[in-house]
Amino acid sequence: MALSTHTTPSGFLLPSIHSAPPFFTEQPNQTTHAHLTEQWTRLILTYARHKRLFVLRVEDAEAPGSDWDEILRNERINRRILPSYLSSLMAAMVAKNIAVYEPAKQTRAVLLYWRLPEEWADVLHSWATATGQLNTILTFYEISDPPIPSPLSGIPIPLLRRAITILSRSNRAQIIGVADGEGVRFFVG
Amino acid sequence: MGSGQSTPKVTAHDRAILDLKLQRDKLKQYQKKIQVVLDREHEIAKVHLATGQKDRAVIALRRRKYQQSLLLKTDSQLENLEQLVSTIEFSLVELSVLHGLKQGNEVLQEIHREMSIESVEKLMDETQEAREYQREIGDLLANRLTHEEEDAVQAELLALQGEALGQAEPEVRLDLPSAPRSLPLVSEEVQQAPLEAKRERVPVPSS
Repeated sequence: MALSTHTTPSGFLLPSIHSAPPFFTEQPNQTTHAHLTEQWTRLILTYARHKRLFVLRVEDAEAPGSDWDEILRNERINRRILPSYLSSLMAAMVAKNIAVYEPAKQTRAVLLYWRLPEEWADVLHSWATATGQLNTILTFYEISDPPIPSPLSGIPIPLLRRAITILSRSNRAQIIGVADGEGVRFFVG
Repeated sequence: MGSGQSTPKVTAHDRAILDLKLQRDKLKQYQKKIQVVLDREHEIAKVHLATGQKDRAVIALRRRKYQQSLLLKTDSQLENLEQLVSTIEFSLVELSVLHGLKQGNEVLQEIHREMSIESVEKLMDETQEAREYQREIGDLLANRLTHEEEDAVQAELLALQGEALGQAEPEVRLDLPSAPRSLPLVSEEVQQAPLEAKRERVPVPSS
């Protein structure tokens, strides 16, 4: 059977391996398994980047209708990834530090690092510089949900907090806390 | 924390601004919620109308209207808050401008203190004195030459000038070619051949 790439309705180019039925099942052979895990992680991260998705849940494999349908299912060959396989993939990603369980102490949902917190810190700082918001106090809400879309639109607060913590270590940001919530101030650094 | 240059302290100002901004965010979130309610009431009214319950649809629309008025009210509140935040931030900018001006003024005064008029005058006087002193030294050195030496110098100058003039003229003369003293001798063959040719066409006796 000829495997070919496929462009999804959202404009994402699926690799040809995505139309191979064995791709959707956990392989008993160690080498194959490792290879497929590698392929899956890359696919998940590039898709997440493409659609700006931050959270992947085991639940996404259980029922159709989630944001992840385009990669977790392949109707053309009538295959879908099993929740148990997705769960083990998530564990592998957490082990490789390209995802974290969020919230901690559960294994049903991960926060994906298609940008590492260090990279997010850089994005955050250059955004603040480019929009002239250095030395201004900003709330987390206005960073993650700005009126005009920015590179940081939709960033989950835990990830944002992590990035800000990294910046504050090098004195490029300062977290300000009041009773009602938190804010941040960026510096030239 | 606490390594290198430390970040500025969080002042009460900063907290107040943050508080205002958080309030603003809350209002924005509230507006979002109202918008959802508006859409939902609209849907409910549509469903009721489709099932023929006109009075229920009217109630839903009435609720929708009320929420709409709330949205308008929050809009003006939001505007107030945002204006306040902008005013505060602008005042902070003004404050820093004032601070900058103050510092600049201080520096200028410091410089002026070092550059008082008396010291400038004194400096100019000293410069003048030094210049005169220098001239005196020059004069002294020039006067060291005796009259004979001075004469010799003048003579040398004249000799140099004469040499320059004397050398320039003969060179020009030498370059010119001498004028011929005899008449030019042209060979007869060359002279006669064209003449004969001419005679055939124009039979005018030549001298």
